[in-house]
Amino acid sequence: MTTSSDQASPILSVRDMIVEFGVSDAAVRAVDSLSFDLHANKTLAIVGESGSGKSISSLALLGLLKHIGGKITSGSIAFQSSLLGKTIDLVQAPEPVLRKIRGNEIAMIFQEPMTSLNPVFTIGSQMGETLAVHQNLNKKDTRTKALEFLDLVRLPNAKRLLDNFPHQLSGGMRQRVMIAMALCCQPKILIADEPTTALDVTIQAQILHIIRELQAEMGTSVIFISHDMGVVSEMADDVLVMKASKFVETGTVRDVLGAPKEAYTRALLAAVPKIGSMTGTSAPQLFDIPGVTGDAQVSAIAPVAAPESVPVLEVEDLTTRYDIRGGFLNKITHRVHAAEKVSFKIYPGETLALVGESGSGKSTVGKTIQQLVEPVSGAMRYHGRDIFSLPSAERKAFQKQTQYVFQDPYGSMNPRKSVGESLVEPAWVHGLVTNKVQARDMAADLLEKVDLPADYATRYPHQFSGGQRQRLCIARALACDPSLIIADEAVSALDVSVQAQVVNLMMELQAKQNLSYLFITHDMAVVERISHRVAVMYLGQIVEIGSRQQIFENPQHPYTKRLLAAVPVLDPGHRPTRAPLEGEIPSALRAVGDEPEPIVLKQISEGHFVGHAQQ
Amino acid sequence: MPIFRFVFQRLLQAILVTVAVTLFVSFAIRLTGDPAIMLAGDSSGVTEDDLARIREALGLNQPFLVQYWDFMKTLVTLDFGESFFRGSVRDLIAIALPSTLLLALASMAVSIMISLPLGIHSALHKGGISDQIIRVLSLVGLSFPNFWLGIMLVLLFSITFPILPASGFATGQSLILPATTIGIILTATNVRLVRTQMLETLSAQYVMVARAKGLSEASVIYKHALRNAAISIITFLGLQFGNLIGGLVIIELVFNWPGMGTLSIEAISQRDYPLLQATVSILAIMIVAVNLAVDLVYGLIDPRIRVA
Repeated sequence: MTTSSDQASPILSVRDMIVEFGVSDAAVRAVDSLSFDLHANKTLAIVGESGSGKSISSLALLGLLKHIGGKITSGSIAFQSSLLGKTIDLVQAPEPVLRKIRGNEIAMIFQEPMTSLNPVFTIGSQMGETLAVHQNLNKKDTRTKALEFLDLVRLPNAKRLLDNFPHQLSGGMRQRVMIAMALCCQPKILIADEPTTALDVTIQAQILHIIRELQAEMGTSVIFISHDMGVVSEMADDVLVMKASKFVETGTVRDVLGAPKEAYTRALLAAVPKIGSMTGTSAPQLFDIPGVTGDAQVSAIAPVAAPESVPVLEVEDLTTRYDIRGGFLNKITHRVHAAEKVSFKIYPGETLALVGESGSGKSTVGKTIQQLVEPVSGAMRYHGRDIFSLPSAERKAFQKQTQYVFQDPYGSMNPRKSVGESLVEPAWVHGLVTNKVQARDMAADLLEKVDLPADYATRYPHQFSGGQRQRLCIARALACDPSLIIADEAVSALDVSVQAQVVNLMMELQAKQNLSYLFITHDMAVVERISHRVAVMYLGQIVEIGSRQQIFENPQHPYTKRLLAAVPVLDPGHRPTRAPLEGEIPSALRAVGDEPEPIVLKQISEGHFVGHAQQ
Repeated sequence: MPIFRFVFQRLLQAILVTVAVTLFVSFAIRLTGDPAIMLAGDSSGVTEDDLARIREALGLNQPFLVQYWDFMKTLVTLDFGESFFRGSVRDLIAIALPSTLLLALASMAVSIMISLPLGIHSALHKGGISDQIIRVLSLVGLSFPNFWLGIMLVLLFSITFPILPASGFATGQSLILPATTIGIILTATNVRLVRTQMLETLSAQYVMVARAKGLSEASVIYKHALRNAAISIITFLGLQFGNLIGGLVIIELVFNWPGMGTLSIEAISQRDYPLLQATVSILAIMIVAVNLAVDLVYGLIDPRIRVA
């Protein structure tokens, strides 16, 4: 299975493809001279960051560019069609021919399972549609066939699912339906465009496993588009790297990921947080970004703060629930137990990572600390003072001391305000600046802190890239000189190279200003880089808490182990063989009176607490 | 049983709206003049005693709340009482209400027949010449007053080319001019609505997925995109229908259409309290009922709401 395919002619051969958007003289090149071959029963991964043109290329293969305003202006796509019994050029092929090939010989899975299925039609009708168009099956046969493929992607209760609507399914289930739908005509090529990016890591492991298995079973060739080097390493035979619409390099997965020839590929790989890369070290460590030297004075970040000091924040038995009302009298029937008796401490200059999957309650904990949500019970001590017992004026002062950085750098800045105004806004609110001269100086100062030029203050958010915007959000959080910053998935939406820079910036700021972070994320590899201590949340409760080393090198709770095992490993040639655990992440929604069993944490070594495993 | 609670809440709401509206109208019309004087006419021999007798006969000497209570009793029994001048209110409404509903439905139908294809076309050719023309025309349509369009159509098709009746409601042909007038007015708004909703759904990922499955453009547009766009379009049209029933007054006057609008205007000018109270209450109830119906239909199209 190594290089046998070199002799056989590829089933898809793209040559010098150029894709342009807009009208001729003002056209923007989205893909510039791309060439590659796809061989039978192989997986080619196209990797690159946002704007590299990788997703555009996939739509180009299906002839769907015109619907988003683009077109292939030159080049060829030779495809060996068994349906037509000959090789055709997909660039020249007329629409009726393309329509026969789409969904039939070349199928596609999209990134967002939540929006890929039409909300007003049942799963059965949406799958049946594909079968009816391409295989001329009658209604009863399409149902049987759809059922067969839903079983193939191991969806439980497939029969009932056929009559369900998409909103009744979780994201992972929807992506399985998409896979079943894409495979139901047994295509020769499956294009998977970031198929697991929007999913939780344990669900991602399940989906990747299914794609691998079905590919082997059905002999499908796969074009796998991803930004995630770990996933690519697990899935691909060959890799093609793209950057800013241009081809960078290609080769076998071993060559490209193991011994990259191009500087860009090397930089990209260096920026990827590799889980396990920090075994043996106790303090967080900056990413080593080639060509970028970090601040010399912060080359070493302080290890875990001395536990004898007073914690910046101490959370004790914090419980937050969301009520669900229903019934004739609108009574509370169910509650989402988003956070149950959560306790932890954060020391000055320390990063505590709060990790977990969707629905684990990690964001609720952050929001409760920031007083965006009222807790049901529990205590919160800031430098030893109980927040909830304070009058509201003093609570405000606490709010000033803790700042929030959100996930979406695009949605969290007011587009109608200049960056300078936005940055200083919290300082105005809390009376830290009282006139315009002070405000201007502060904005310049804040921009400098996050390594942006001071004159950017007069610009508007749309003039910045995602990474720059996240720097701005961090700058805004710094305006009130806080001692604690809650970063809720703050780097999750960023490209890896940008992510590495932002994470480095956060660590540098921490070292300079003795900041504490509550770093809320699902990304275990980033956590390993940035955190001093880690708390793992599952269904609203902390199941394990300890130092970074204790959690990553000696995980005890089964859920922590499962979470770590699900993270794709950047190790070309290594293929996970064992099937990941099946099943969905359970819900924290419970009927009133049906309280969850509290997890008791037991200390197993200095600072390492593990919850009793529940059956 | 969320659906029952929902309907129950809406019924309660309908009752509150009706009480508020009728209370206000009954009160306001009593400030505008004395029906006893209208009834007595201009004859100089009417004495203050005569007027008092008329008031007593009509029940106008009673306190306001007693009169209002009497009216509410007739409303609940669907009897509506007697007009001051024209006999049974129920008989008058039995003629006027169907005429108004007919005109409203016909107008909506005209508007949908024009705005649906044009709106979809406009969305599919966004930025093209036809899209620009449609958008300019709809802006023009939004800008001129509806009675003016009605008068122009009457001049053109009843006076210059006498092919359609100018006013009244005698044959099916009588319906054409008023329905077209209102239909065109509504189209100006609806074309924009359809265009916006279609643009939104056409850019949704499931539409691209449908294309990637190899479906025909017709299936992608009319099945996948339109069905989703229809959710908001139907909601809006329902609300529009509700407004239309109450808002037909001017057009009914222009075309001398024997509907609820005309009846209400006559009732106002004659200070015919029972008739006016009845027409206004019925219009208010109709609007609430249409809104309720829209919410229920909405649940039928959108499975996310249907399955609670």
